[in-house]
Parts: sequence; structure tokens; C-alpha cells
Amino acid sequence: MGKAVIRNIIILLPLPVVLFSLFIGSSENVSFQKIVALFYSAHPLPPELETVKTIIYQIRLPRILLVFITGGVLSVSGSAMQAVFRNPLVDPYILGLSSGAAFGAALALYILIVPVQLLAFIFGLLAVGLCYLMARKNKQVSIVSLILAGIITNGIFTALLTIVQIISDPFKLQSIVHWIMGNFHTANWDKFNMVIIPVLAGLVILYVLRWKLNVLAMGDEEALSAGINPFRMKIWVLLAATLSSSAVIAVSGIIGLYGLIIPHIIRMIFGVNNKITLPMNLFLGGSFLVLIDDISRSFRGFEIPIGVLTMLLCAPFFIWLLKKTNTGWQ
Amino acid sequence: MAMINNSIISVDDLSFGYDQNSSILSNVVCDISANEFTVIMGKNGSGKSTLLRIMGGIIPYNYGTVKVKGAELKSLKLKEKSRIIGFLPQQHKPVFPFKVFEVVLTGRASYVSITPNKTDLYETERAIELTGISYLKNRIYTELSGGEQQLVMIARLLAQKPEILLLDEPVSHLDFNNQIKILKLIKELVSKNITVVAVLHDPNMAYQFGDRFIYVHDNMIHEVNNEKAWEHKLVTRIFSNDIQHVEHEGKIIFIPKS
Repeated sequence: MGKAVIRNIIILLPLPVVLFSLFIGSSENVSFQKIVALFYSAHPLPPELETVKTIIYQIRLPRILLVFITGGVLSVSGSAMQAVFRNPLVDPYILGLSSGAAFGAALALYILIVPVQLLAFIFGLLAVGLCYLMARKNKQVSIVSLILAGIITNGIFTALLTIVQIISDPFKLQSIVHWIMGNFHTANWDKFNMVIIPVLAGLVILYVLRWKLNVLAMGDEEALSAGINPFRMKIWVLLAATLSSSAVIAVSGIIGLYGLIIPHIIRMIFGVNNKITLPMNLFLGGSFLVLIDDISRSFRGFEIPIGVLTMLLCAPFFIWLLKKTNTGWQ
Repeated sequence: MAMINNSIISVDDLSFGYDQNSSILSNVVCDISANEFTVIMGKNGSGKSTLLRIMGGIIPYNYGTVKVKGAELKSLKLKEKSRIIGFLPQQHKPVFPFKVFEVVLTGRASYVSITPNKTDLYETERAIELTGISYLKNRIYTELSGGEQQLVMIARLLAQKPEILLLDEPVSHLDFNNQIKILKLIKELVSKNITVVAVLHDPNMAYQFGDRFIYVHDNMIHEVNNEKAWEHKLVTRIFSNDIQHVEHEGKIIFIPKS
């Protein structure tokens, strides 16, 4: 199969995946026939179809779209951060952005006055900044030091998060815990609307800079020689990646390693040219997370948090990646 | 200092140190002449690379002036600067397995607004041809040999279309054949009206290929014209007394004293 074919498949993938996912869920009142009937029934709808309609449009559709955005944004941000740090082993989770944003969001859930998105963004940014400053030594950021700095950043914000949990009352605590595990069962249009603006803003910036990421990936002096200010460019990329990913993390909770695995799969297929891979990350990252969420939604009676499922799926893959040394980096 | 009338870069009274207590360069004066191959020589840590990096706009300078085609380097916008000067860092450390064509294309960064257009692709193609590496175009950069990688990085500079190339130790980690290959390419570029300044370590290579020489020693710069370059007292200071030169077919060859 040629790359062009795979590319077209990945671009078109979201449509069938979203349609397919509309049919999946735990509600026993919603059968395949009823959903199909919904599409060509005349108005006004019979009461039982009205319920189906509500479930499809008010519960499943916003959730699927939110999951899609989350998967896409985590993958795009992950690949952008990998180019900025010239490090194929980083993503929003490894750099501590996730736990920073998680702490910010939990704090907002606790205080109840400040918007969740805002605090998630501020602390997400703070976490990435902290991680970068810790890793930087003699104007150099090595692959290992960045990952170690990420572990420490994660530790700090996880500790702070624990404090918020301890001082929260049981009711708030439950929502915070559920949320940290990575969960979409409370997804609705309000949450979708809350996320979509920062996500679009971040994605547009990253899309515009997608080819310039290649220049950044060459190295600072190489970029400087070619007429690009690498420091300014990195700030733009990191701001955009943090803005969009902390917005989705504020709704989805921590979904670990996802922003690392998808960019690697994309690189294995399409190579490392960010001009091509950045949009591919959005489409595949979105579609794949929707499919993972379908698994978590298809259990009856309980729901496995999506963060748990992705971690269980991605961790073995991550280990395999580490062992596989011939991907062009050590 | 040597008088030259076609100076394309002129450095005057330049002082520089990485911290306040130590100075790498003090009150340096030198000129780079257009359309010639200038070689910078000196011991490790003498400030050769620092001088080159300042001229390339990679590190900022606070004392003295550096004029490029009459304009102060500091006052040039990054984009303007990159179309006059191309700088090759000492050793490129690739991380991602980009294709050769993609690597060379990044040299077009100052021309590209969002993604490269037809002109950028054309100029990249031309730079690759000019460097003689068309056969490597679709190979993965990280899988190439050191010599091939250096040729790719030079092609990347050419795609940028600068008038001056500043090369920091372009042949230092290459085998003998590849050193000759790169230096011949430099001579060819000079004949096409590109000014080249390079830091070299091997005196034989330097005198075989260089047009003019700059020695960096004791924080100072010494320019020497070609004919008597090897007789200059600094040669012995830089290379200590352990080398001697012999003449072979009218050329000077340096050999270690036995």
C-alpha cells in the first residue's frame, strides 16, 4: 500500500469512526434499528425515538467529538514538543504538563470561582517552564535530563494535587479523582464549547508553524543561520501546544503517553517531515482515541476510565520503542 | 594588518569573553576579502570558533564593530543577515531521521512564509546539484557517512543563497578523501563568487587550498598574505617547534620534526 493511500485513509478515518461510535454505548434503550430509524423518521418523533435522539445528540455525539479533539490535540502537541526539544521521547505527560494542568484544574474544582481552563493552562505552562529550566544546563537540554526533569515536575504537581485532594470534601474529592483518571462520562456540549476555542487557537498556530518545526528540529544554531529565531519560535510552539493540550486535559484528565505513541506510529509510516505528520497526528490521534473510548463505553454497569485503558495499551508500546534502537535515534 | 580593498566583512576593535574575567578576543581587527577562501587557524581554545560565530551572528558581541557589506551586523535583521551569511556549526547532531532533501530544504527558512513553494524546491534541487549529491537526495540523513552529512549541510547553506559561507571546522572529523572533496568544493564555490571563511587545523590542507590566512593567537588576530604565510613566526608559535616545512614541486609541505 502506497503512502498516499494510507494518507487518504487516515484523513478519511474520522468520519466512519465517529459514525460507528455513535452506535456504541451502554444504554439498553438504544438499538441499532432505532438509531437508523432516527435518520428517516418524520417529525414529530415518537417518544421512544425522542429519547434515542437525546442520547445520540446530547450524550454520545459531544463525547465522541470531545474524545476526538483530545486524542488529536495530545498527539499534535506531543509531536510539536518532540521537535522543539529535539527529543523523540517527550509528550505533554512526560514533560509534566499533564500533571501541572491536572493540578490547576483540581485547584479550580476546589476553589469553584476560577475557570478550570484558565488554571489548567497557567499551571500547564508553569510545569513545562519548570521542566525546561531544570533540564537546561550550559544552554543544552539533553534527552535524559529533560525526562528526569519531567519526572520531578510530575512529582511536584502530583504532590500538590494530593494536597488539594486531602483538603477537599468527599463530594468534590470524588469528582477530582474520577477526573484525574481520565474520564469522559461527564462529557457534554458545554464542555465541548469550553474546549474548542483554546484548542482551535493552539492548533491553528501549530498548523501555520508545521514546516518551521523541521527547521527547529535541525538545532538552534542551524535555525539561527537559516534566518529563524529559534527561541522565539519555540516559545510560540510551546505556548500553542500548552494552550490546546491543557484545555483538553482540563476536561479529560490525565491520559498518559498518548502524545508520544501516536507521533511514533505516524513517523513510522510517513517519516519525520512535520509538514506532513502534523495533520496526520490530528486525524489518527483523534480517531484512535475515539476507538479506545468505544471500548471503555461498551462495558455495561461500569466504565473503565480511558486514562487507564490508554496507559495499559501505550506502556508496552513505549517499552518496545525504547528497545527498538533503529528508529534513527538512541 | 594586510590591506585589502574588496573587504566584505570588516571587524574592528572587537573584544569578547564568555564571562567578565576571561577574554577570548581582545581588540581584534581583521578583514575578510570578497570571493576568496580565507582560512582561520590557531590552537584549540584560541578563539577561532568564537570569531567565526560572532561574524556569523550566532553569538552577540558588545565591544567593537563587525561590518558586513558596510552594515553593522547587529543592526541587520535575522532574515537579511541569513541572505548574506550562511554559518555551518562545528558538528551537526541530528536527532530525527529526515531525508536529505528535507534537510537541505530547511536552508530556505528565511524565504518561506508557511510552507516551501516551487522556488524553494527549485533552489533546494539546485543546491543539491551544485554540491554533487543528487544521488543522496532521497536517502535518510542520519544514515549517511560523516563526509556525506557534511556535504548535505553545505548544500543546506547553499540553498539559503548567502554571499558568504562561514564554516566552523568543516573537515575536522572527516577522512582524508572527504577532506579533499569538501575543500575542492569550497574552491569551486569561491570560483562562483562565493566568499568562504573556514576554520581548519591541518596546515597542509590550509596552504593547498586557502587564499588568505588568519591566525588567532593570544587573543589576537594576525593576518598573513599567502606567499609568505608559512614563514610567518606565528606558524611556529601555533604549531610549536615540532614541525618543519619542505618544498615539493614548488609547494610547501609541513611535516613533524623527527
